[in-house]
Amino acid sequence: MSHGAAPIGDPQRDRLRVFADVLIPSAHDMPAASEVGVADRQLDVVLGARPDLAEPLARALARVDPGDHEGSLARLRDADPAAHDALLLTVVGGYYIHRDVRRRLGYTGQVPVEVRPEIIPDYVDEGLVEPLLARGPIYRQVPDAGGLTSGSSILDHSSDRSARRMSSDELQGRP
Amino acid sequence: MLIVGAGASGGVVARRLAAAGFGVVCLEQGDWHALDEFPAPRPEFELLARKQWAHSPNDRALPEDYPVNEDDSDIATLMFNGVGGSLILYAGDWSRLHPSDFCVRTQDGVADDWPISYEDLRPYYEQTDVEFGASGLGGDPAYPPPFEPPYPPLPIGAGALKVARAHTRLGWHWWPGTNSVLSVHAAGRRACAQWGTCLWGCPEGAKASTDHTHWKQAIADGAELVCGARVSRVLVGRDGLATGVEYVTRDGQEHVQEAGVVVLAANAIGTARLLLLSAGPGHPDGLCNGSGMVGRRLMVHPFANVLGLFDEQLRSWNGHIGSKIVSYEFYESDERRDFVRGAKWSLAPTGGPINAALPTRAGKATWGADHHLHMREYLGRGVSWGIFGEDLPDPENRVTLDPQLTDSSGIAAPKVTYRVGDNSRRCLDFQIERAKESLLEAGAYKIEEERLMRHSGWHLIGTALMGDDPDRSVVDGLGRAHEVENLYIVDGSVFPTSGGVNPTSTIVAFAARTADHLIRTRDRQKVAA
Repeated sequence: MSHGAAPIGDPQRDRLRVFADVLIPSAHDMPAASEVGVADRQLDVVLGARPDLAEPLARALARVDPGDHEGSLARLRDADPAAHDALLLTVVGGYYIHRDVRRRLGYTGQVPVEVRPEIIPDYVDEGLVEPLLARGPIYRQVPDAGGLTSGSSILDHSSDRSARRMSSDELQGRP
Repeated sequence: MLIVGAGASGGVVARRLAAAGFGVVCLEQGDWHALDEFPAPRPEFELLARKQWAHSPNDRALPEDYPVNEDDSDIATLMFNGVGGSLILYAGDWSRLHPSDFCVRTQDGVADDWPISYEDLRPYYEQTDVEFGASGLGGDPAYPPPFEPPYPPLPIGAGALKVARAHTRLGWHWWPGTNSVLSVHAAGRRACAQWGTCLWGCPEGAKASTDHTHWKQAIADGAELVCGARVSRVLVGRDGLATGVEYVTRDGQEHVQEAGVVVLAANAIGTARLLLLSAGPGHPDGLCNGSGMVGRRLMVHPFANVLGLFDEQLRSWNGHIGSKIVSYEFYESDERRDFVRGAKWSLAPTGGPINAALPTRAGKATWGADHHLHMREYLGRGVSWGIFGEDLPDPENRVTLDPQLTDSSGIAAPKVTYRVGDNSRRCLDFQIERAKESLLEAGAYKIEEERLMRHSGWHLIGTALMGDDPDRSVVDGLGRAHEVENLYIVDGSVFPTSGGVNPTSTIVAFAARTADHLIRTRDRQKVAA
């Protein structure tokens, strides 16, 4: 273990391995926590990002009983919430950072996706805005808030920023 | 001109004053953060989001943070200390207050009216919408015209489209959310890339924060921004006018910065704390506190979540977070209900796999073989209504100085005392039931609810009440302290009431209005001899 203020040694890793597999066993075409290295390489990755977890994790591993994971987790949560949270986050973090686990879940990670404001939104195509406009204002009028005129014309937000007024028909995508 | 705090309102004031030729110095206890520091692209993103980029200063515990004693608070308060302030970690949900929010005493018989109106702020809303790059669809019937965000709306995504269709069938209001997140490349900033990480720093710079929307221009115009400078006291001369501030740098050295005018922009906790720290012989209960209102009437918008799960994979870990769509169907008072005022709903995505496994909002963890079924059910298949409403002011909800707790400079830390009021509870209970109807109509097969989210105190409001009566309030309608004529407050602490929307748009509009006042009246502004 190369990270963290309180190194997690082999006996603790063995204990984590057993407990992690109780929390996340092999089932439903998904690997067990130990199979993706939650107590091994993934633990190093987690503690590399979160060295603050090492100390409460060590406390947790000293207290939990894999033979009674529900009971010991509940007792740990009451007695040492920081240790409880560190244990769960270490297991979950190591597991869901693993590339194969993400692939099996269809999770791409947080990735950039281009915004295309020039495409007419589905809600416009489907005519979902028109009933809102037809219903009229819903704000509560106060003496100096301006007239209760309908929002019947709306700015067209074209991508080149040449804003112009567009009619309700245009908003609905009608010619 | 001396500004305390380089966040939302501090940036707006600095840019205006510097452009007008004022000498401007700003003291900020945090630092600059580059876009490549933010954790979004890293596989460990969700781990880093819970510590290094956590919203609570108590969780981050960085040297520039100050701790907040929340032992007597129902809600944890959230903020960020750095250039850009809490905008670094906000969602960018860019909502204006509604006209009725300014006159709840007149209309509903509760709390206080503001000394200013929606129409007073409207020109400044329009200016700051452009400065921050608000993206949205004009014509929302929940607001008086004109309501025209300057940039096109962001995509709402598959989940929000389902809910929009449902609201059409129900006859309920919905509208594409307005967000201070660029939908197109503009003003030297890149467009949103839908990372889904707005709450932990935008790696594109598409989400507005004053470090890149205001401070760079302010500095180009001559403003001086001093980072790592923690202000500990506002200094007042014999004539009762502010003369500057004392501050501490990270090396422990104490300094004095003199100024003709002092502008506090340190959020509703930081500003109240500083006024209380500035007690002196002529003002033993804190500066500007002759009314006894400094620190009182803290409002934080108690927050509920209602999560709907759908059969289809919606990939709801991507996309801007602020609001996909909003609903103001139940925003205004209705005498048939057992509460006054109402709430805003914002539809948000639900995050990545660690959040699905260990939900920070509605939902519970599941272990054993069923864990995998839980993950297939939750990851990417949910949308969440975030709900918060009018948080009526209570003088017992307040910020005080903790007698023991200090920050890393040895300065007394704030203590927050906050209890959710009965009106807020009844309002949230009502809204939660309606939100369930919304999601069920949209086709959700399972609903989870979180009736009160403890880590939800993003909206720090109140504690330096704005009003016309010096005996009952701290500042006037321009943010000028009644008791110190060259001291201004421009953050959310001046709000007499909270409204039921995200406050940042109103905070910066108010700050812009105060800055314009300072510019217009520069020849008449009193300064210390």
